[in-house]
Amino acid sequence: MVFTDASMIITEACVRAGSDVFIGYPITPSNRFYQYGTQRFPSFLAGPDEITVMQWMSGFSAAGKFPVTATAFPGLALMAEGLNMAYAMELPMLLILTQRLGPSTGSATTGAQGDLMFLNGLISGKYPIPVFSHSDFEDAWDMTYESIKMAIKFRTPVVLLTSKELVMTNKSFDINKLKEIIPVKKFSTEVIEPYAPYKTGEEMVPAYIPLGDEKYQVRINASTHNDAGLIKKNDPESMANTKRLKEKFEKRIDEFTFYDYDKEEKAKKLIVTYGISADASRDAVGKLREEGEMVSLLIVKTLLPVPGAILDIINTYDEIVFVEENISGIYKEILFGVDHNPKIKSVNKIGNLISPTEIIKAVKQ
Amino acid sequence: MKKILTKMKMPFCQGCGHGIIVRSIAKALEQLGYENKDTIIVSDIGCSGLVDPLFDTHSIHGLHGRAPALGVGVSLGLDNPGKKVIVIQGDGGVTIGLQHVLEAARRNIDITLVVMNNLLYGMTGGQISGLSTRKFKEQRDFEVDVPPFDIVKLAHVSGAAFSARATSIKTYPDVMKEALEVNGFSIVEFSSLCTSYAFKKLDQLQEVIEPPEIFKNERIPVRIHQRVTNSLFDKLDVVEKQFDSKIKSGIGVVVAGSAGGGVQSAAKMLATAGMLSGLHATMKGEYPVTVGTGFSVAEVILSRSYVNYTGLEKPDVVIIVSEDGLNKVRGKIKDNDTVIIDSSLKTDEYPDAIYGDFVRNAGKRGAALAALAYWLKNSTLIDVDALKKAVSTHKYSKVLLEAIDKGMS
Repeated sequence: MVFTDASMIITEACVRAGSDVFIGYPITPSNRFYQYGTQRFPSFLAGPDEITVMQWMSGFSAAGKFPVTATAFPGLALMAEGLNMAYAMELPMLLILTQRLGPSTGSATTGAQGDLMFLNGLISGKYPIPVFSHSDFEDAWDMTYESIKMAIKFRTPVVLLTSKELVMTNKSFDINKLKEIIPVKKFSTEVIEPYAPYKTGEEMVPAYIPLGDEKYQVRINASTHNDAGLIKKNDPESMANTKRLKEKFEKRIDEFTFYDYDKEEKAKKLIVTYGISADASRDAVGKLREEGEMVSLLIVKTLLPVPGAILDIINTYDEIVFVEENISGIYKEILFGVDHNPKIKSVNKIGNLISPTEIIKAVKQ
Repeated sequence: MKKILTKMKMPFCQGCGHGIIVRSIAKALEQLGYENKDTIIVSDIGCSGLVDPLFDTHSIHGLHGRAPALGVGVSLGLDNPGKKVIVIQGDGGVTIGLQHVLEAARRNIDITLVVMNNLLYGMTGGQISGLSTRKFKEQRDFEVDVPPFDIVKLAHVSGAAFSARATSIKTYPDVMKEALEVNGFSIVEFSSLCTSYAFKKLDQLQEVIEPPEIFKNERIPVRIHQRVTNSLFDKLDVVEKQFDSKIKSGIGVVVAGSAGGGVQSAAKMLATAGMLSGLHATMKGEYPVTVGTGFSVAEVILSRSYVNYTGLEKPDVVIIVSEDGLNKVRGKIKDNDTVIIDSSLKTDEYPDAIYGDFVRNAGKRGAALAALAYWLKNSTLIDVDALKKAVSTHKYSKVLLEAIDKGMS
C-alpha cells in the first residue's frame, strides 16, 4: 500500500498515455497537478496566464504534441475563448478542471461541483465538449486514460472534471490494482486521398496530421471553414463541416459511455451522482440496504455529452435522487430542466461535502 | 521551386497596403529558399487574418490577438529549426494580445511576427488601436493625448532578437528577409495603407507614422526542454503491515492547529502508522488559501475496511494544539469525543478534555505529533512504535522522534 492522492494518479496516467507537455498556470486547488507536472511530464511550460496557456496548448497540439493543463473556474473562464478555438480547429488536448466553491473566486480551498453548467454551454451553439469525471482512485486512472484516448480519437479538447477533495485527499491505496496504460497513438495512418485537412470518412473525424508535415499541406482553422481548412461563409460544405462537430460525438457515443451502475433488483428508487459525491452515495446506499431500503446507485462518468444509456437507466425508476455539491442541482437541471418533476429529488449543499446521512434522509423522505 | 503564394487574387480593398506586405513576405521566403511545406503561417483576426489562402503553405487561423501565442506553441511543439513559423497580425491584434507579443519576445521564441499596422481596426469601422499614432489621431481629434505603444521598442526591451519598424515599401522585402534569417524572435512592424478608413495615398500615410528603427539583442532562442522522468509512484513509500491494532472497525481523528505547525505532517504520520498496523487510512486537509498563517486542520480516518466517504460526520478524537485550531473546530465537537487540548489553551468549554503540555515540551512544530503520541500511548489503539516507524523515513526524523518521546513523557 502507498499513501497518495488522485492528483498524482491522474498526472502519472497522463504521462503513461503519451502526453508530451504540461502547460500550467498556478491556481488552487489544481496546484498538485502543477507540482507533479513539473516532476513527471517530458516537458513543462509555465504560462503567464490562462489565455496564453490555452493558445500554447493549441499550438503544441497543432504541431502534433499532446498537451495537458489543470485549472479551476477562474482559469477556465479565461480559457473559454481558446477552448472554443481548439474545439473548432479539432485539436486534441486534456484540461483537468478542479472545481472549487464559487461564484467568482469564491473559496479557493473549498471543493464544489459547480462548473458543469458552464461546460454544458461552453462551446457557442452548444456543441458538446466531452466531459468525464472520476469518483475514486481507480477510475481517476481509467478516466484519464479514456479522456486522452477520446481526445485523440475524436480530435477534440476533453475536460476531466474533478474537485478539491477528490484530488487533494490522501488515501491508502494499492497501486498494483491500476490497469496497464499503453501510450495512445497520435497520428492518423489512414488518410483519404486526395488529402484535405477537414475531409472525413465514416467516422466523421479528420485525419490528424501535424503542421509542418512533409507530405500533406495542413491547414487548421477556427473560423467557419471548408474541407480545405479555409474560411468559407455559409456554403453547404462549411455548414456540413460545422454540423459534423456535433454529429461526430452523437454517432459514436457508445464508445465513450462510462458509468458504474449498482442495480438493486426491484428497487424503485435510484441515486444519481458523480465525482466527489459518489463516495458518500456509496456509503448511503450500503446503509440503506442494511436497513432494508431497496435503492440503486448510478455513478456517472461520461457527463457530457449525455449518453442515451444514462437516460435509459434513469427512466426505469419511479424516484430519482440527484446528489451534487452545488446549490440547486446542475446535472439534474441538464437532464430534466428547471420544471418541477414529482419523480425527482435533489440533495444539494455548498461549502462542505454532502454526507451519507443527508443522502439517507432524502431517500427515506 | 514552387511559388510561396497561391494564384488567388488579394482579398483586400483596392489600394490596401496589406497586399504589398504579403508579397514582400513571399519574396523574402523565396529568396531564402524556403519550400512551401517548410513554412507555417499563423494568422490572426481582422483584415490581416485573410492571408491564409494567399500562402501555398501550412496555415493555422486563430483568434484576435492570440496568433503570437498560438505561434509560440507551434514553434515549440515542432522544435524544428528547418521550419519557419510566421505569425501575421494587425495593430488591433497587437493591442488586444500585447502580453502574447511580450511573452514571445521575453522567451525569444523562434518565430517571425509580422505586424501590418494600418493604424486602425479596418473590419469594424476604422476605430483607432493601441498602435494608432498621435499624428493620425490629431487628424481625427480623438485621444490625441494618448501615445501609441511602441511595439518595436517594447519587443526589444522584452528580449526579442530582432525588432524593426519598416515604413518605406521599397525596404519591405529586405527587412523581412533579415527578420526571417534571425534565429529567435523577430518582429517587423510594417506600415500599411487603409484606403477605406484612412488614406488613399502613401505620402499621406508617411506624414503620420513613426520613423523606421531596428534593434537587436544577441540571444539564442529558448526551445522546449525534453527530459526522461521516472514514475511518480517510485517516490512513494510502500507500507506493509508490521504492527497490530486494537481498532475494531474504524476511528476518526481531527488534528487542529495553525499553519506551519506540522499539523498536516503529523496527520500523515498517523495515517502511515495506521497503514503499518494493517488499516486503511485517509487524510483530508483543510486550510485557508494563505499557506503560512491561520488554521490548519486535518481529518484522518483509520479503518478495517476501505473508506469511501472521507468526510467525518462525527470525529472520535479531537486534538487541538493552537488557538486557530480551537476556533476552527469549536462547535463540531460532540459530547462523547475524546478531546485532547494543549494546556496553554485553558478553556471550560470541554469539561472532560485532557490537557497536556505539548507546545511547551515539543515546541509549536512538534506539538501536534506529541499530542498524537500521547493519545496513542494512553488509548493503546495503535502501537506508538508504528508512529515512530512512520516518522523514521522522514528527512527530519530525529526531531520528530523527539516530539513523540516528549508527548509520551
